This record gives sequence, C-alpha cells and structure tokens, in this order.
Amino acid sequence: MIDLKNVCFTYQKESTVKDISFHIGKGEFVAIIGSNGAGKTTLSKLLNGILKPCSGTVSIMGMDTKKTKTSILARHIGFLFQNPDRQICKNTVADEIRFGLEQILKDKSLIQQRLDNVIAYFGFDPAANPFRLSRGERQKLALASVIAAEPEVLVLDEPTTGLDYSECMQIMNIIRQLNEKGITVVMVCHDMEVVLDFARRVLVLSEGRLIADGETREIFRQEEVLRRASILPPQITQLALRLGEGFEQVFTVEEMARNLLARTRPQYIGTVRRETA
Amino acid sequence: MKGFLEYAPGNSFFHRLNPLTKLLLSLLISIAAFISDSLLFIVALVALNLVLAASSGIFIRGVMLLKGLAKFSMLIFILQLLLVRRGNVLVLLPLNLAITDAGLFSAVLIVLRLIAGTMPLALMLSITQMNDLSNVLVMKCKVPYKYAFAFTTAIRFIPIFADEMAGIIEAQTSRGVEMDTRNIFKKVGLILPLCVPLLITSVKKIEDSAISAEIRGFHLRSAKSCYKRYPLKLDDLLVLVTAALLAGLAFLV
Repeated sequence: MIDLKNVCFTYQKESTVKDISFHIGKGEFVAIIGSNGAGKTTLSKLLNGILKPCSGTVSIMGMDTKKTKTSILARHIGFLFQNPDRQICKNTVADEIRFGLEQILKDKSLIQQRLDNVIAYFGFDPAANPFRLSRGERQKLALASVIAAEPEVLVLDEPTTGLDYSECMQIMNIIRQLNEKGITVVMVCHDMEVVLDFARRVLVLSEGRLIADGETREIFRQEEVLRRASILPPQITQLALRLGEGFEQVFTVEEMARNLLARTRPQYIGTVRRETA
Repeated sequence: MKGFLEYAPGNSFFHRLNPLTKLLLSLLISIAAFISDSLLFIVALVALNLVLAASSGIFIRGVMLLKGLAKFSMLIFILQLLLVRRGNVLVLLPLNLAITDAGLFSAVLIVLRLIAGTMPLALMLSITQMNDLSNVLVMKCKVPYKYAFAFTTAIRFIPIFADEMAGIIEAQTSRGVEMDTRNIFKKVGLILPLCVPLLITSVKKIEDSAISAEIRGFHLRSAKSCYKRYPLKLDDLLVLVTAALLAGLAFLV
C-alpha cells in the first residue's frame, strides 16, 4: 500500500530525510516517533506528495508521488494537519465539509449523502461557524472533512497537539474505529501514551534516519533506541523496565495493577479497571 | 523566495554599518535606478546589488531575489511591450497590436528599474535587525516609536504570512484542491478563498503581538528607552558619500 525505497529529502542544503525505506500494508496503524527536527513531519508530507523526494521513490497504492499530482493523491490519502485553522476556509461547518467533498466528487446527491453521514456521526451543528468552535472542535471538523472523502490511507500530523485528555480520546477513538474498518493510519505523534494505546507498529526517526521499525511494545522495550531518539516511554513503562524480570509484559497502568495484584492479592485481580476512555 | 526578508546573521562590512546608513544606501541606489534612462547603468546597478549581496554573505538569496523579481516583472514587460504605440514597428501582431522599438526599450527599462530599485531594500532588510532599524528611526530620525514599531512589524510579518499562506496552500492541496494546476487563472481563483483562513490567522497573530507588546510596556517606550547607541562612523560616511555620488551619476548618464 505504502512503499518507500531509499527516500532522501533536503530542504535547501539541509538533509532532513536520509535513505529511508519501509513498507506499510493495508489496515496497519503506524506511529512515527522521534524528537523535534528528526524529520517526522517531512516524512509524513512525503507520504501524500506535498513534498517530492529528492532521490528514491514513494509509492502510494501503486502511484509514484513524483509522477502524480498531490490533488489526485488526495482522493486516496487524507491528511490531517496539526493546525486545523490552515484547512478551515468556509463560513459554516456544512460548507467546510462540502468544500472538501466537491474537490473529489461530482455527484451532488453522493456529496449530500456523505455530508449528512459525517455531520450525524460527529454530531455537528451544520450551521455553526467553524471559526467560533473550540480548538478541539475545530480539529474534529478538520478530521471530519478529511474522512468524509473516505480515503484509503489517513496520515495524521500530531493530531492531539493542543487538545485536552477528553478531546484527545474522542479524536483517537474515531481514528481507531476508522482503522478497524480497514483504513490504513500513519500518525506522527509526540504523546507516547497515545502511541502505546493506539499504534500497533512504530517507526523511530533520529536525525532524518529510520533507526527502528517494529511492533510498538517491542520498540518501547529497546532503551538504547529510545535514548538515541531522545524519547521517554510512559512513566509506567519506564517503571516496568526498571523492575525488570517479571514485568516484561507491563506497559500500562492496568497491566501493572494486574501484575502486582497477581503477586500480592490474586483474589482481587478481577477488580482492575481499564484505564483508557 | 522563501525567507527572503528574514534576517541573515553575519559580521560582514555591510552587517556592521549603521542601520540608517544601510537604509539611505538602499534608498539612494533605488533613486539612482529610477533617475537614469541608461540601460547599461541600470544593469550595472543590478550587478552592484549582487556584489553587495555577495560581500554580505547572501549571494544565493540575492540571485533568488533577482529570479523572483524577474518572474514577477514578466507581466509588466508583456503589457509594456504590447501597449506602447510610439516608435518604429518591429513586429506586427494580430488584434491590431504591434511591438515597437520604443515599446521594447520602455519594457526592458521598466523591468530593470523595478529589479534594481527593489533589490537594495530587500537586501538591506536581510542584513539589518528590525529592532536596530526601529531604534535608529526613533533616535536619529525622531520618528515616534509607535510608527517605527508599526513599520518594522509590518516588514517582519511579511515572511510569517508567506509561510502561513504556504501552509494553507499545502493543507488545501492535501484535501484535493487543485493548487498544483498549471493554469494560472484557475490557480488565482482557487487562492482567493484562502484569504479567509490567512486573514483569521493574521488577525490572531497581530492581536497576540499587540497583547505581548502591551504587557512589556509598549506605551512607555520612547527615544530614551534604547540602551544601544548608533553612532555614524567613518565607514558609514564613506558609504553614504559613495552612494550620493552614484545617485548624482544617475543624473548624468
């Protein structure tokens, strides 16, 4: 579905993505992590053709991004930016979602049908002014207009930045539901708890290079890789890593609670609550 | 053209000049470009701009600026070429249009003037800190601080807005808007609605700047508030005399 082969990208003289190759299959949920300046956003923009590789190839569903216009790729790849205000340009919520649909569809009844579905799904007031919505609501609106297009791939550039816990969970649960329906999700994220909770595979970038690619929990166990990428896993994971033997499978508060109860009071193990919303 | 008005740090001869000298130098070169009718003299001024850019360590930026201005001038060149009716006809065109020798001269002259007159100001802004420029305007030219601040802030915001617009265009292209079309008229039609998000973001940024300026005692600032001094040195005087001679030469050629 997504294939990168020896991809390099340079801004003016500075190389930001260096010789990166990977394959992402249909229905995967992948997080790209790394410190600021590691090349995460550049890599995400290479995936939807906003940036074209200086060398190597980026192929999305068989289309070479160098040979295909970004506006054509947009019919298959939805891209959610960190700042929703760059996307929103219409005066009502309904017009905003319709504007995106009109770019890729000609059939007016189909546009109206998708618009109604998305508005009902998100529970928006169609006549509301997008610029008067809260930050979290604007991010939801941006996501709504991206997914109304029913893309096969969803690329998210730090979708939870600036959102509170509840807004973050709302957005991420919607993304998880889309992924469960078969949409491939690639997410750039700084919040390691979100990565651990939602992504099944992680790509670790450091100074423009891909230094690790693997299953999320497997990556979070590799302290050396995380140190090179200047990443700290969630505190509970760090604690489990410090505790060592017997705590190898512990990554979340729930798992830690189960593990400790199993050692001390096994009769209470059924009372442990799930921690995520 | 990205970042063409942003400050390029350095310690070259021109970086070290008094900001007022740099402002006057660029104004005098611009004036010289608009006074002279000699194509050769104006080409020499463009070359001088590139030499100034190279000696300030921003040659690449100078060349990019030249290319950008040349592209921007194409429309003016074509209009001038087709609409000037004086002189001898060189080429007859359909729709009763013609290219004349006077039209060709006038088109080349206007484009060169535009390039030679705009480059020095943009280059000067690339090697001058905005704070120094507003301070010197307040101290030496007695401009009230709020006007000097408004002037330098307006310049400082140009690259910020350009970046913002680039981000908005990226976001819209990503949702399928054909910003990557080669049809210039279609592109203009698509860009116009984007002025709404740009305007909203800009107003927010300006409001934030105004609040932070107020918090930092903007209303208390005056010419006496500047702790840095900007004396005119021998280098400044030499540069100013040379620039004045150059402007004088423009009257003669």
